[in-house]
Parts: sequence; C-alpha cells; structure tokens
Amino acid sequence: MRRVAVIGVGVTKFGLHDRTSAELFAEAAQDALTDAGVPATAVQALYYGNVVGGETEHQLHTGPQAASVLGIPSVPTTRFETACASSHAAFRHAVMEIAAGVSDVVLVGGAERVLNVSTAESTEYFAYASDAVWEQPLGLTFPGVFALIARAHMEKYGTTEAQMAAVAVKNHRHGALNPKAQFQKQITIDQVLRSAYVADPLKLYDCCPFSDGGAALVLASEEVARRHRKPVWVLGSAAASDWMLLGDKRDLSRVPATERAAAAAYRQAGVGPRDVDVVELHDCFTIAEIVATEGLGLFEPGAGGRAAEAGRTSLGGEIPVNPSGGLKAKGHPIGATGAAQIAEIVTQIRGEAGPRQVDGAKTGLTHTLGGNTATVLVSLFGRD
Amino acid sequence: MAATESPITARAFFERVRAGQLTALKCGSCGELAIPPRQLCPACHAKAWQPVDLRGEGMIASFTIIRVAPRAHAGDAPYALAVVKLREGVSILGRLVDIPLEKVSVGLPVRFRPLVIGNQPTVGFGPS
Repeated sequence: MRRVAVIGVGVTKFGLHDRTSAELFAEAAQDALTDAGVPATAVQALYYGNVVGGETEHQLHTGPQAASVLGIPSVPTTRFETACASSHAAFRHAVMEIAAGVSDVVLVGGAERVLNVSTAESTEYFAYASDAVWEQPLGLTFPGVFALIARAHMEKYGTTEAQMAAVAVKNHRHGALNPKAQFQKQITIDQVLRSAYVADPLKLYDCCPFSDGGAALVLASEEVARRHRKPVWVLGSAAASDWMLLGDKRDLSRVPATERAAAAAYRQAGVGPRDVDVVELHDCFTIAEIVATEGLGLFEPGAGGRAAEAGRTSLGGEIPVNPSGGLKAKGHPIGATGAAQIAEIVTQIRGEAGPRQVDGAKTGLTHTLGGNTATVLVSLFGRD
Repeated sequence: MAATESPITARAFFERVRAGQLTALKCGSCGELAIPPRQLCPACHAKAWQPVDLRGEGMIASFTIIRVAPRAHAGDAPYALAVVKLREGVSILGRLVDIPLEKVSVGLPVRFRPLVIGNQPTVGFGPS
C-alpha cells in the first residue's frame, strides 16, 4: 500500500449561510486546492459527504452536483452518508483509492445546509438517522440518544452535569480563538447549568448547534506529496459500526465502535494514545466528548468527566481536545464535520493554527461519530 | 425456510404489541434472545429463531425527558423515554406512561404497556 498525505485544506466559516451546500463545498474546495498548490485539473476523483440534502435542499445526487458547481464535472464522484461521520467515511475511502494506486490526487469534502429550515424540522430530519420502525415512532431525538448515554454514564461513574458543562466551557474558550467558528464567545459553567433542558440531563449549552458549512481536503500519493511544502501523512484510518438500536447496546455508558475503530487506527499507525499530541473528536454533545476521550484510550473508562473538569483536555493541558472549538463552538454542518476536523489537525501538525496552536504537535487524531453511535471513524496523522 | 423469511417480522411484532404481548426471538441453536427480529443470530450466526413471549417486566436502565421534540411529537412534550432491561435479559427503548416525570429513575421497576402513537402500535412502559 502506498503512503497518503493531506496536502491541502479548506473550511468555510460555519454558521448561517445564504448559499447552497454545493456552493459552500465549492468555496472550501477552491481554498484546499490553492493551499495544495495543485490545479483543479489534477483532481482524479471526489469523495463527498452530505446527509440531509434530500430533506433541507430537495437535493439528492449531491456528489456530482457538488462537482458540477465546483467545475470538475467529469471526475468520478461518490456521495457518502454515514450520518454525522459522512465526510470522514469519504476520507477513508479516498485514502484507500490512493493507497491502492488507483489515483494520485483526490479531493475529499462535505457540506450541509440546515439553517434554511426550522429547528423542529431539522430535529426531525436528524432523527432519521435513528431507526424508523423501532425508535423514531417513540419521539426519540438526537439529544435524547446522548441524554440516555449521559444518564448511564452518570449512574455508572458518578459523572456530573458540572463536568459536562466543563466540556462546553472549554470548547467555547477554544472556539473564541477560531475565526471560522460559529460561536466565538466564551461562556461560564453557570450559564451552561442554568440553560434550559433539551433532553434531561442535557441542556441547551450541552448541545452543538445546527450549522451550515463546507470543508475540503486534497489528498495525494507520496510521489505528489513530496513536492508539497508541508505534507501531513495519514498514519491510519479505520471505521467501525455497532448496533443501530439503543436497546441492543449492552452498555450505554460506552461506545464500542469508538473503541474498535481506535484500536484498528492505532494498530495501522503503530502508535498508541500516549503518542497523540492533539485530538479533534466528536463532541456533538458534551457527554459525547467525555465518552470519546475514554473510548480513544486517553483516559480510563469513567475518568473522562473528571479529566475535563481538571483542565487536562484544554489548550495547555496534557492532551488538548478540540482546539478548533469542536462541534460545540465551531459548529456542526454534519456532512462537513469529518473533513473539517481533519483540516484542523493538519493545520495543527503544520504548526499554522495561530493562537489555538498546540505547541509542538507532531501526531494528531480525528474521531467522528455517526448518529446513534452506530458509525465511528478514527484517523491518525503525522509529519516527517 | 426461505432465506428472507423470519419466524416473526417487525409487522408481526407490532401486531402482538397491539394485542398486549411483547415478543422476543430465541435462538434454537445457542439460546440467544433478541428483540427486535433479525435474520441471523448475532451470537452464533445460526438461523433457528423461535418466537417467545416475554413477561413484560423490567427496570429502567437509562432514561431521558424529551422537551424539544420532533414535529410529529411536539404536542406530547415533555415525555420520558427509557431503555428498559427486561427480566429475560434483553433491552428495548420505550415511552414511559403514567409515571410522573419527577419519579423516573434508573432502576425503577416498570411493566410493558402497549401504546398507539399516531395510529402506530409502539412500545410503552408503565408502573410495575
């Protein structure tokens, strides 16, 4: 298998946009191509993530549509849908295409537009990623899924609402350093604890926002990447799945797909959690960050809440998590999220993250979770 | 049995729910229990399911109170959902009914209650 590098990244500002998701992707893609220093004519394939285009934009077939809007209509294009992990899944398959020797330059990206519909509508559409026969008819929502996980974690380990709030405060503090973030303002523990319950025990400030946005990456074979100023190497990229239904998950306080994907990615990369300098992980809800830090092996099961409260995951802490602000503050345009997380880690490893730079970051990890924890992708990155 | 047949389909499961009966599948090869219906036993990959009646008694493993609901359920909010671990060992998500929201807790014993939400039979749990 050939080595693969990320040689270009581009991310739009996240938040409210008056543009289609394809236009948002096209902006990010042009930035990524400029960053890579390769012309659009060099792109041999597009792997694209988009989730609710059919619902919010009445648009299916979003892969070739995005390629057309960008202006590269003839390359093979595939749209991936693994709920919130879509563009990370797209990334993994692009890595495999280059590693297998099929292509030398591949564009990866994703975009989402949801702020053109009401919160009630987007809440319903996101719930489509839970089971339509067994769970949606009960009125399950995505905050509800993670509230059930939070309650189980609190019962088993004594995790507190204040510990979850510490994740939100930390990610807003980081987001305030990111000009692309949807929320660039700090918040307090009190503000989180006093915010209204959405799905007990999760409150408004435990939840990431609905967001519009796009992200793109240029991937290249080693031969092409060697000509680039700062290639960031893909050390490993793994996916895992789990049961769809909450009732089938044996222990709601854990996410087995995270544990399996992490084990596979660490094995591919030949590194372990102690070797990782910076992490972008899937904090769609504050509890999701706590459970992910445990599943990735950064902390023991049950220790994630205390670690967050003690500042161990802050910029300047022992293992900075979500320096971009995470989904919580940077925003979560679901089809774009995986690619945007990778863009942040690449920027960190290049040493170009400005005020949110993790000093000396050499090895980085991205973790993206799809929907009801039934899909997880984990990738590892490093430099020469 | 043809490859696509199962001794109980989702439709059959919910018809039994409407009639007041919660049903699981038991693997005739290894004894694994499962709800909902699936084609292959996840434990031994055999296809030897037999439907078995569950007692409908269990306890709350985790719960939440949905306050911001999808459009179709907005009129019901706030409502409680719980993952209930049944006495036989399998778990299922259900809507809690006739239990005051402030009394809901992990470990609370509950009993299966057939529900119809929007014309569709679905799984509920009430006081034991």
